[in-house]
Amino acid sequence: MMQIGVQTKEVVYDLNPGDGFEMLKRTGFSCADFSLNSYLTNTSLYKFEVNDFFDKSECELEQFFAPHKEGAKKAGIYINQMHMPYPNYVPNGSRELNDYLWNVVAPKTMKIGAFFECPYIVMHGFKLARNLGSEEAEWEQTEKFIDSLAPMAKEMGITICIENLYNSIAGHIVEGPCCNARKAVERIDRINEKYGAEILGFCFDTGHANLVGINFEEFISTLDGRLKVLHIHDNDGIGDLHQIPFTFTRSRENAVATDWDGFVRGLKRIKFDKVLSFETAPVLTAFPDEMKQDSLAFIAKIGNYFAEKIMR
Amino acid sequence: MNVICSPKGIVDLLRPGQGISDIVNAGFGSVCLDMSMGYSDEELEKFSTEYSKEIRTCFQAMLAECQEKQLEISIARMPYLLRNTKRTDLNEVLVRIAEESIKLCGNIGCKYIIISPLFAGVSGEDEWKVNREFYLRLASVGQENQVMILLENQCRSMNGHLVRGICADGYIAAKWVDELNKEAGKEQFGFCLDTGVCNLCGQDMYETVLALGNRLKAVILRECDGHEESSMLPFTSVHNGQSQTDWLSLIRGLRETEFDGQLIMDIADTAATFSPLLRPQVVALAKSVAEYFKWQIELEGMLKKYSSIVLFGAGNMCRNYMKCYGEKYPPLFTCDNNKDMWGTSFCGLEVRPPEALKELPTDCGVFICNIYYREIEKQLRDMGIENIEFFNDEYMPSFYFDRLKGV
Repeated sequence: MMQIGVQTKEVVYDLNPGDGFEMLKRTGFSCADFSLNSYLTNTSLYKFEVNDFFDKSECELEQFFAPHKEGAKKAGIYINQMHMPYPNYVPNGSRELNDYLWNVVAPKTMKIGAFFECPYIVMHGFKLARNLGSEEAEWEQTEKFIDSLAPMAKEMGITICIENLYNSIAGHIVEGPCCNARKAVERIDRINEKYGAEILGFCFDTGHANLVGINFEEFISTLDGRLKVLHIHDNDGIGDLHQIPFTFTRSRENAVATDWDGFVRGLKRIKFDKVLSFETAPVLTAFPDEMKQDSLAFIAKIGNYFAEKIMR
Repeated sequence: MNVICSPKGIVDLLRPGQGISDIVNAGFGSVCLDMSMGYSDEELEKFSTEYSKEIRTCFQAMLAECQEKQLEISIARMPYLLRNTKRTDLNEVLVRIAEESIKLCGNIGCKYIIISPLFAGVSGEDEWKVNREFYLRLASVGQENQVMILLENQCRSMNGHLVRGICADGYIAAKWVDELNKEAGKEQFGFCLDTGVCNLCGQDMYETVLALGNRLKAVILRECDGHEESSMLPFTSVHNGQSQTDWLSLIRGLRETEFDGQLIMDIADTAATFSPLLRPQVVALAKSVAEYFKWQIELEGMLKKYSSIVLFGAGNMCRNYMKCYGEKYPPLFTCDNNKDMWGTSFCGLEVRPPEALKELPTDCGVFICNIYYREIEKQLRDMGIENIEFFNDEYMPSFYFDRLKGV
């Protein structure tokens, strides 16, 4: 049976991480997506604010995360994926800030990933097409960033996963980096060949894809075996809401408005056998705290439903 | 580039005189014969499969009015089904309507017709097979009538949520057009890009336009909020002072590919919303907006027009000019009203006083690089300067990350 995972955000807390992992296990998960991005948030970075979390030495970071690693192990939760803090480049940010993100935060993320023995780290590509003029020019910068991490990734046996993202034009979501599966395939294959290792893979984000009307089945089928990681969540096609799949309808017939059948068909076609991981932390802040376990259990059940459909 | 008005929302088919006059008075010289005005998607939903009505009859009055007012019909658009149609049995009827529509185009000298791919009841695997057969059936009728058939990007309704449909992917669309032309043995097929559909699917229009290249023969300009289908005047669906359509990526793409086709302004919903009393002004604004798009797309052509150029303004717009076009079209110098800048260098250009413009060669263009266009234009005209042009940096091929302050 396929494994089911979810973000650690809003479940696993630093004060007693073991409790959070126990809750994940209890509610039906066997895997976790470690939310490292919670320690240096995008909202602060876009305001040019940086905390000192990543100033810690590698040794200090390992000490900090030792209870998390221990807690996960004890609970029987496998940290299969981790989210690198993002953005990796802040347009209009100072050189000092961007150097820090590139040369300190990113390599330390890789090391934390290795400490957790986590095989996949999800990163966000640079959002620079507006300034640089094209997606190709934007990708060149992302590729330089990947190149800087590639030797480390190879040595650690980690696959960095690029994710389909979006941009906002006057509040309207439009496609952003890595929304072209054909290009992603070419780039992943080329880079992996260059390094002689699987250092690059893809993270398919269902919510982001839904926002820009991407055909799930086609996209997943094109990626094929390069698809390593999932961010499963739902929205109304308008905002990036990170809600429970099957939540949204758009017509009086009340039929689901996100193509979950296409999602399942795509994964089935490529014989996806990795973790069905949910990126649904906002669900846990929307529902009352008393219902957190029920919410998590419901998410896990949906994971099992998908697994059953994919494996059938 | 041919600027065209879609009469939908403006012209009443039963009494077309006033609407056609509004279009002519706004300065449009061409219209698109949008056949969905006679056969709306809602009407098609109730069609009999035995349909045999002559399509021409619906448009007789409008065609006569266009002829009388010397309004050219450059392009037509075949009726299309609702995105969430329940009618999977109408594909044969659509073939007959398409054939008839092409013949009508041939009769009236219309060179292009937009025909959407068949999608109702067509599975993902069969899209190409079904549409290959559909379009190739129409190819001979197109050839006989000297009408080029344009495929069009589609969205599909996922239970009310509009997502990317057939030919939404520019790369796939280009392959379809090439394959059809190969089988037709001539350039019988091209493509029409509907910006409203691109916006609904959050697509990068730059990438789509580049993928289509010279297969792109027509562009439908229309705005929507990105969620619900509508045909609004560009720059009217806004949020926080910004348009909700990514016009930057469209203009970048069309400029880079030197688009020189049919530019169709579709403001059906905006026009229908305004009172008939205000409609002439709305249509006139639509014409200005369409011309603005043409001007932006052809910006480089304007630079090529002169054997030499100078700029007026030594600020951010001048800086953007130099970043994007300075190497290809190097100005002789720039000038500025700020005395403190005279004799200095800005972005590699000498800054001179406006008086220096009086000594320019006759075939030199003066490009105003400052948003106070009309003020500066008057200043230059009062000085007797000729060849005055406006430059604009809103839709540049690339941008700096910062803006200079205090210039």
